Order: sequence, then C-alpha cells, then structure tokens
Amino acid sequence: MKVTFIQPDGSEQTVEVAAGSSVMEAAVFEMVDGIIGMCGGICSCATCHCFVEEAWRDKLRPPGEGEAAMLEALDDTGLGSRLGCQIVLTDALDGIRVRVPKEQM
Amino acid sequence: MSLHEFEAPHYDPYDYRHHDDPYPDYKRLRDHAPVFHNTKFDFYALSRYEDCFRAVRDFKTFSSANGSNLEDINVEVATILDSDPPVHTRLRHIIVDLFTPDSIASLEGSVRQLAIELLAPHARTGSINVITDFAARLPMAIICRLLGFPREDEDMLRGWTDMAVHRNEGEFGVPIESREAMGKLIEYFEQDIAQRAKLPPRQDVIARLLSAESAKTLSHGELMGFMLILSVAGNETTTKLLGNMTYQLHRHRDQRDLLASDTMLLPSAIEETMRYDGPTQMMARTVTRDVELHGETIPAGKKVALIFTSANRDERKYENAESYDIRRNPRDHLGFGGGLHSCVGAALARLEARVAMKELLTMMPDFVVDESKLDRMHSPNVRGFTTVPVSFTPNAGYAA
Repeated sequence: MKVTFIQPDGSEQTVEVAAGSSVMEAAVFEMVDGIIGMCGGICSCATCHCFVEEAWRDKLRPPGEGEAAMLEALDDTGLGSRLGCQIVLTDALDGIRVRVPKEQM
Repeated sequence: MSLHEFEAPHYDPYDYRHHDDPYPDYKRLRDHAPVFHNTKFDFYALSRYEDCFRAVRDFKTFSSANGSNLEDINVEVATILDSDPPVHTRLRHIIVDLFTPDSIASLEGSVRQLAIELLAPHARTGSINVITDFAARLPMAIICRLLGFPREDEDMLRGWTDMAVHRNEGEFGVPIESREAMGKLIEYFEQDIAQRAKLPPRQDVIARLLSAESAKTLSHGELMGFMLILSVAGNETTTKLLGNMTYQLHRHRDQRDLLASDTMLLPSAIEETMRYDGPTQMMARTVTRDVELHGETIPAGKKVALIFTSANRDERKYENAESYDIRRNPRDHLGFGGGLHSCVGAALARLEARVAMKELLTMMPDFVVDESKLDRMHSPNVRGFTTVPVSFTPNAGYAA
C-alpha cells in the first residue's frame, strides 16, 4: 500500500505500509516531516492534519464527529483537510496523495 | 536560592525520597546532565522535552521491544507497551477505534452516575478521602464496565493491580508480591473468559480481543497481556491524576478560584495538570544503536528513561514551566507519552477526569487537604497519592 506525502516546498516522499494502517502511521513509521501523530491515533491531538488531494477525497468516508470537531479547532484547514489517523488504508486508497501542512499545532 | 541547586544531578527512581518531590532533581538533570548515566543500575535518562519528544518519535532507535520498564521484566509476551511496529501496530489496531473520543463519549453518563454515587454519602459529612473513597474506585468501576467484569470484583482487582506496579525501596526489579499479583490477575482473566464461553456474546473490549484471538491475529498469551495492561494502566494512572489535581488545586488557590469562576477551563486545567504533575513520570526504551547526544554516548543496548514529567517542565519548551497555570492548555505535553505508544486510554482518562473533577468541585468548592496525612505510592514509573484526606463545608444539597 503506497502513500505519497507532499511537503509545503513541493518535495514528495512515497512510503509503503501494510493495509489497515492509517495515513498517520504511514508517515510516522518513516518519520515523514510534518506529521507528528502525538496521540498515537485516537483522534485526540490533531497533529496528523493533512490535505487529501482532490482525486482521493471521494473515496474517503466522511469525518466522524470527533474528527470534525478537532479539524474545526485548527486554523489552517482547507479543502481535503483530514486527520491522517482517521484514514485507514484499504485497497481503494492505495496510492493516496496527501499534502503536509506548514505546521502542526 | 535553595541548597538543592548545589547538589550534583542525580536520578534514582527507586529511592523513595525522590518520589516526594522529584522536580528539583529533574531540573538539575535538564540543566547539568541532559544525558544522565545511573551507574548503579546502568541505565541512562533523558529529561529535556526535545530529547524525549525525539525519542518517542524515533521508535527504531528508541525501541520498546525490550520493555517499557527500566528493569528487564519478562517480555516473552508482546504487549502494546512492550513492542515496536509491526507487532505493536497489529496489537493496537485491534482496539484503537474503541478508544477515540467518539467511541467513549457514550460512557459519560455512566461515569457521572458512578461519580455521584461515590460522592453523595460524603456530601453531608464535610470530609472525604479523595483517593480511597473516590479516585481509586471510579476508574476501576469504569474499567470493569469496559471489560465486562462484575462490579463486586472491583476491590479485589484493584488490590491486585495496585500490587502489580509496586516496587520495594532501593530494589531494582519486580518484587515477588507484584509477580504474584500479576499471576492472580491472569488466573482471574482465564476464568472470566471460560465463563464467557457459556454466555451470550457481549459487546465489550474483551469481546473484541477474543474475536482477534479466534481470527489468529492475537495469541492467547498476547490476549492475557492485553487484559493485564488494560486493567493496570487505566486504574492506577487515572486515580493518581485525580489525586494530583486535587492537591494542585489545593496548593494553588488562585487557580482553583479561576476554575470555579469559569468551569469551561476544566479541560485546559486537566491538560495543565497532566503537564505539571502528571502521574506517569517516566517510560523506558532500549537504544538499538549508539546514540550521540549533548556530547555523551548512550551505547547500543542500554535502557533509557524518558522522564516525561521533567520534559513537561522544561523551560526550553514552556514559558514559566514550573508554574501551574490552568489557562495554558498545553496540548503538546508528554503526560500521556507521545507518538505510536501514546496512551491509548487518554480520551477516557480525560473524560473521567473532567466528570470526576466537576463533581468533586461541585460538592466541595472550598475543600482543604490535610497535608499531614498525605501518603504516596512508590513506583519508578507512576507517582501519586494513596491517600488525600480533605475537609469541606458540608453540602447537603449535593446530588439531593
């Protein structure tokens, strides 16, 4: 399962991870810059905020209440804003591309 | 200037004297020995925020596979505490969705009801022991609910889980009593599971673990380890958080007044308590390669204590780090650890603390702690009181 992270400067990093992992984990396993995952994936810190590229947005389940509330509390959200820990990678999401925000927290 | 400042930096979490007030020790470590080598037990300690943060992030260098205690406890069975990805990921995925704020929100009513049940008998008397009458009981009651254990077993289970984390003074290792307590817990879990097999299936955390066992994503040993961790971790720490928060609000009257004037500050006050005086002082890792840091070398294979409560008071990270400010709302503290091993029960702890402290403060807004009767537990990892007697103006109107 591949995930591509695009940094604010445009550089890209593609990582491989087992299905069932989250986008946050894909980043944290390889220590991708800018995705922290402070709470380890219980949707409680919003430090895995990312922008999902347009082509992939329809394939995602909409955010739950908790995720929506966490996102609302962030300043720099925009189209495709999601918490990486709440995107669980399935076959349909193989190859997903997400942009990393300038900063977390 | 206190005498302490002239002492050489030292860190011995097995010395009971350290438990009373470890913070001056931590400051000396941060300032003078950010990579401290305890030669007696041959482990290292990191005490600055940036170093601890990097360590929790860099799990390939700072491994949990050899346990998260300084002692080499038998870690034949992988648990979410004592493993690295991919094993850790396999284990954590089994339950992680059950512990998000959305998933545990439905427990709020039960937590409140239990809190009121425990507090109400004390409201008219004007005195309560915040730990033994309340904070020690509430988390175990919630865990029993989550894990599906009968409430009448609560006291027994709490006795065993308390004993499981106890350490004897100056002794580097797990005392025989602690091992026996863990054995009793395992025996209890085996019986519980055997009972379940005869009853209609339930929808709880254990049911989830049992399906994983059936699906062969969890071995039987791992199942037992999981039940042990869920029972121990969720009990001890939340109890200590409630005790520490009561104590800090007693010591910082201005902060208590502020909270009373604006109860919306409660979540922020809980985060600040986790930062300033969180129960989990330290978790250990083992370095998988030589690590060069601040001019020192930590040799591959050595245990390293990540002192989270020291990191949380690092002046390099937080302004006025040694002051308790309930408006601070520090969401990046390491009170729950951080990264992949971050406390899986953190949202539940936050919910329990919010409800419990709201009820406590409603019942006893003017409470005073009897400091002469305080006593604390002794563990290298967890710090907090075993008894916090308080008095307050009797409140017959509470929960009436």
